[in-house]
Amino acid sequence: MSVLFYIGALLIVIGGICDLFGALGLLKFPNFYVRLHAATVGTIGGAVVPLFGVALLALGADFLPHRYAIAGASFITGIIVLLAAPAGAHALAYAAHKAKLVEWKPKVDHLKEVRE
Amino acid sequence: MRGKGLITAVIILTFAALMTYAVVSLQVFSEGTGVRPLGEFYLENSYFGDYSAKSPEVVTSILWDYRGIDTLFETAVFFLAIIGSLTIFRLTKEQEKEVKKVESAPTELTPIVKDVTKVIVAMILAVSASIALHGHLTPGGGFQGGSALAVAPLLIIAAYSKYALEKNGLDKTRALILRSIGLLGIALVALVPLLSGGFVMQNQPIFPAEIGGQLIGGSLIYYNFFEFLAVGAGFTAVFLLLSIPEEKFKKILEVKK
Repeated sequence: MSVLFYIGALLIVIGGICDLFGALGLLKFPNFYVRLHAATVGTIGGAVVPLFGVALLALGADFLPHRYAIAGASFITGIIVLLAAPAGAHALAYAAHKAKLVEWKPKVDHLKEVRE
Repeated sequence: MRGKGLITAVIILTFAALMTYAVVSLQVFSEGTGVRPLGEFYLENSYFGDYSAKSPEVVTSILWDYRGIDTLFETAVFFLAIIGSLTIFRLTKEQEKEVKKVESAPTELTPIVKDVTKVIVAMILAVSASIALHGHLTPGGGFQGGSALAVAPLLIIAAYSKYALEKNGLDKTRALILRSIGLLGIALVALVPLLSGGFVMQNQPIFPAEIGGQLIGGSLIYYNFFEFLAVGAGFTAVFLLLSIPEEKFKKILEVKK
């Protein structure tokens, strides 16, 4: 077992912690936009980081059969989630802002012109 | 309100503790060492025997080999479901053209979403092809790969519009042709063994188990590829149909009255 194994395991633990914080934020934050931030912490920190962790862990584990296949699959899945999650969050926030569904008191609103 | 949350927390924690106890102490998931008689039968008939599929992925070889007729009818059920939905929304040639016409500029999502969709659609195509074509080696197969493939047109419909898909050549008719090619391929591969004196959907020893040193599992890779095509294109046809605006449909129905 090389150092990659331990880095991967650490990343998986970090992912678990991010998931916990994301869930707490989703329950406790005051409005839609801040909750969306917590949800993104859950997807990027709680899904992408542990997927990369699994890839590193599989590369470092000599005893594992088909470890290159496992590493490749989790790496690709991680990349896809890494691309899709921010775009999805962006689309949600944009739609909520445009539909004026969320009540909020912003300090700065750079998207004001889109709303009219 | 507070008490309710507490009860839920207690139930979840108790359940988690019981599950951990069951897995760690009672060892409900460990089956000891060695292969059981049933597992031996499956391995013998999927990987090692002369009349097996020569594929290490036991589930796929069972599905497309000695349980093959059942899978064939399963595919037929899916095929009939799609035919049924297309019949409900049946359109004449002129109505088809009317439906494809863009009246006002379709609303598309922001550039960020559109660009990410472009990248992800390419990746989805690669991943779904890998799921389907490695179906004889890893979990997955034709149906799973085809379902993943159908996500690509769905994302394009969501981020761009139905018309963007049709403008680039993938309309309902083409999707149906692709799906028919897939179904025809499955039927032909199923009938090929009859030519060399085998029975319907026989795999070994009629199809070569390896090509150029690569294990392809006899007929499994052909079945998986055609099923991939049939399922992906079938779902695409239904998605294209469902994304026709309701107003247009209502207008067409009124004209007929």
